[in-house]
Amino acid sequence: MAETARRELVDADVELESLELVHDLLEEWWPAVGEVPMQRRFAFETAVIEIAGNVVEHSRRLDGAPGRRFSLVLEADDRSLRARFEDNGLPAQVDLSTVTMASLDEEDGRGLALALVSLDRLEHLLVDGKNVWELECGRA
Amino acid sequence: MIEFDVRKEEGGTVVGPQGRLTMVSARAFRDTVTEVIERDGGTIVIDLAGTTFVDSSGLGALVACLKTARQAGGDLRIAAPTEQVTMVLGITNLDRVLRPRATVDEALRG
Repeated sequence: MAETARRELVDADVELESLELVHDLLEEWWPAVGEVPMQRRFAFETAVIEIAGNVVEHSRRLDGAPGRRFSLVLEADDRSLRARFEDNGLPAQVDLSTVTMASLDEEDGRGLALALVSLDRLEHLLVDGKNVWELECGRA
Repeated sequence: MIEFDVRKEEGGTVVGPQGRLTMVSARAFRDTVTEVIERDGGTIVIDLAGTTFVDSSGLGALVACLKTARQAGGDLRIAAPTEQVTMVLGITNLDRVLRPRATVDEALRG
């Protein structure tokens, strides 16, 4: 695959149902990406859905205000799979260095840990007042 | 959207989520399984053969349902997980407590 395979979700509502749109976008993107080992595909997809869920949950927990929107760009080239989320929710305070996997009897607290172990790079940034998540992993 | 097939078998009740078990559907899944536990009790088998994707909310719902089943004096077992589900169960170590069985029959037998 010589070119970049790119798909974009623009200006989606920050709400639970939008996770289905993220799933649909992934399903539309994979055929354009070409061959990727199944385990790598599952890992990347899991990370993307976990971060999408985090965007929704974070917004709901902080203010639940209407008008919260997010966008998602998926890109793949010969070397890597990448995703970038942007949302206009309140700035999130995220310290990924403190994330650990929940213990076995807990019902919550696995999302970010799952995303971290599924990727080579996960970053949360604040850019022009927007929350930005960048996800990346090698495609092989 | 997800659908839940519920059927009585010899040895327990089988619940089969068809589709994605995620933050979107985790609440409906918990409600369905809780209803089955209250109605039937005993062994509940979650047939994951038709569950194409599970996220952390889906895993949390499985843990919650396991607790509910055991508190009611029964048990909850999972069967036939697909590849993505097997992967997330392994990463989170939840395969130690949910201990997936290869088939529904195996899960019903214990």
